[in-house]
Amino acid sequence: MSKPTLLLIDDEERILRSLRMLFFVGYRVHMTTDPHEAIRILREEKIHVVVSDQRMPVMQGSELLRIARETSPATMRILLTGYSDLDASIASVNEGEVFRYLMKPWNAEEVKSVVAEAAAIAEASFAVQSHTETASDVAIAKPRVLIMDHDETTARTVHETLGDRCEIVWASDAQHAMEELAKQDISVVVSDLMLGETNVGYILKTIKQLNPQTQCIVVTTFNDTSRLIDLINQAQITRFLPKPVSKGIFARNLESMLERFHMVRSQPVLQKRQAVAPISDPQEQVQAGNFMGMLGRLRARIGA
Amino acid sequence: MHSSNRSGGGVLALINPIKAISPACPLEEVAEEFFKPEYAKVLSLPVVENGLPVGVISRYRFMDIYLKRYARELHGKRPIRHFINDKPLLVDLDQTLASAAQHVAANMQFPLTEDFIVIRQGQYVGVGFVMDLLKAMERQMQAGTEELEKAYSQLKSSQLALVQSEKMASLGQMVAGVAHEINTPLGYVQNNVAIGQELFSQVQTMIAGYEALVDSLLDERANEEQIAAQMKLVAAMRNDVNVQEMLGEMHGLMADSLYGIGQISELVINLKNFSRKDAAATDMMDLNDCIESALNIGRNVLKNKVEVIKELGALPRISCAPSQLNQVFLNLFTNAAQAMEAQGTLHIKSWHSDDDVHVCVADNGKGIPEEIIARIFDPFFTTKPVGEGTGLGLAITHQIIQQHGGEIRVESRIGEGTHFHIRLPIVSARAAKPALLEATA
Ligand SMILES: Nc1ncnc2c1ncn2[C@@H]1O[C@H](COP(=O)(O)OP(=O)(O)OP(=O)(O)O)[C@@H](O)[C@H]1O
Ligand SMILES: [Mg+2]
Repeated sequence: MSKPTLLLIDDEERILRSLRMLFFVGYRVHMTTDPHEAIRILREEKIHVVVSDQRMPVMQGSELLRIARETSPATMRILLTGYSDLDASIASVNEGEVFRYLMKPWNAEEVKSVVAEAAAIAEASFAVQSHTETASDVAIAKPRVLIMDHDETTARTVHETLGDRCEIVWASDAQHAMEELAKQDISVVVSDLMLGETNVGYILKTIKQLNPQTQCIVVTTFNDTSRLIDLINQAQITRFLPKPVSKGIFARNLESMLERFHMVRSQPVLQKRQAVAPISDPQEQVQAGNFMGMLGRLRARIGA
Repeated sequence: MHSSNRSGGGVLALINPIKAISPACPLEEVAEEFFKPEYAKVLSLPVVENGLPVGVISRYRFMDIYLKRYARELHGKRPIRHFINDKPLLVDLDQTLASAAQHVAANMQFPLTEDFIVIRQGQYVGVGFVMDLLKAMERQMQAGTEELEKAYSQLKSSQLALVQSEKMASLGQMVAGVAHEINTPLGYVQNNVAIGQELFSQVQTMIAGYEALVDSLLDERANEEQIAAQMKLVAAMRNDVNVQEMLGEMHGLMADSLYGIGQISELVINLKNFSRKDAAATDMMDLNDCIESALNIGRNVLKNKVEVIKELGALPRISCAPSQLNQVFLNLFTNAAQAMEAQGTLHIKSWHSDDDVHVCVADNGKGIPEEIIARIFDPFFTTKPVGEGTGLGLAITHQIIQQHGGEIRVESRIGEGTHFHIRLPIVSARAAKPALLEATA
């Protein structure tokens, strides 16, 4: 098999030179300081992984990755930035749909292994793209949507938008939410970060282990950048919408997440594209462990 | 005598005092030298005439000649002069480790068969092993990153202290900007060191391979097969183009790393000057230095957007609180940048009269509407969206200038730009130090 190809973009050439050496063995590397040049390369070459800086004079990294998503959907997208601001991280989820949000200075081994993982996934995506164009459309049960938010406006919009096509469950607390997740596979989760007094981050980070097809939308007033970055990497949430969110935007995103769910279900390679990183917070690790334990017992009892 | 790591002493610690041979020395005697057990690790012997190094003879090349059939009989009495490499790797005792390593990495031959010669003012001093040099360099780079990380965490906490002081309006954004400016060089410096470390251990294995080959060549008992196997191993390593190419690139990365460390130091110094704890301490200052300092620290806000034109006249020093004046200028520069829709210019002028120092900060941004111009110095007056402006910038600026016995005036034209004019007395009107700012709420 030929070497996977990387495209590196940063406005600091020294970062590019340094990264190129990190990937000297085992990859073909393109690099540029010019996002427009990067777009041209994406159009003309088969690129497995693109690693982009966020803050650049001509174009933001999240914007570049959005274009990459359209130009070369099989390419995996990684953001590598020294600047953690909320807007950038929100844009990287909603527009860039990044596989990982990595911080400078980075750990060489970690970046190497993330890129290797991404390259393998991209290779699989390219293979699927060229072989099976249409996926088998199996008829299945009604999609299920789980709401984890006490906010009534959230619930109302979900009902109005998807009520005719989906079964909708509104969880009153974390325990209830976990039971619903255990009982049956969920297609779309709409969640705040706090459910009552409980921080539900660990639940979101476990969802992909329960069912990799589940799509996660976070609607919240919380705006802690580092927590959002963790949710990108460890929960692969597909949307992050700060409250208050306009009804139209919310509805549009719900629609597209349901569509995404159908796509992911019919094309298993897309599940890999949302592979999550391990949970980093020790407390959340414990919580997630307990959750999985409880889930095993529940599923055994229900016989699902 | 002890050597310090920072000076040329770094090279001193690498010297092995090996007795040089004369170019007239016959091959027979050179063979004896190579067989001496204390020279077992030596890849090459220095050849010196009248104190000046004229070349080296590597064990590799020597064995190649000397182990041939009848070579002893044919060449044994001939002087070594005819067989040496007359372009040895030279390192000056006064060179820094970094520049020595760069020089060696750039000029070393593959396979590595020679040591380098250390000279002082052209005179032979001793021999150094390339591996030792690379190891020393690796140690130094590692110490460098540790220091960097320490400086960085100190800086982070001092940034925190700054944010906590409510006088430092709009600083949050700036802090994030400065962190970004540091994370970028820190990113590649750290990565380069990690790559270097990996590479050095690869080179180490290669050299071990060569040594093993030389050993079996010298070992009377070794049979042809053993030698052939060793040869094959070495040949395979030689063909590993990656290591060679990477070594070639490495000195570029070292130069990048040094540059990056310089950048970080500069930022740290700037921030330190800027954020002195004793925010109200007075000093005799040249306002031009305050302007430069604010430009430096606001670089992130201005870069790529604002062209800065400076016309700074020579100024007498005035008694003032430099960190407060730094802040005055930073506020004005930030406002100017924020008033520009796209690209713009910032014109900074300074001059003085008999009694006063003047600074004028002019931008070609969107200007201030007449109905609000009277309110811009009010605390919490802002036209910027929530999260972007606190409306404290000009209020604080105004207060600082007043406390220094000066005045600030503004003129603005919609669509053309805004002009702030600061006047500060050369002999401070007040005898007392400027008081700490009171909270404006
Ligand atoms: N150079 C300028 N050009 C145009 N408008 C300006 C300029 N400087 C100040 N202003 C106006 O004056 C207002 C008050 O400025 P001030 O610096 O006090 O607060 P701010 O910039 O809004 O917020 P902060 O400085 O806390 O980030 C600004 O909101 C802006 O409308
Ligand atoms: Mg301001």
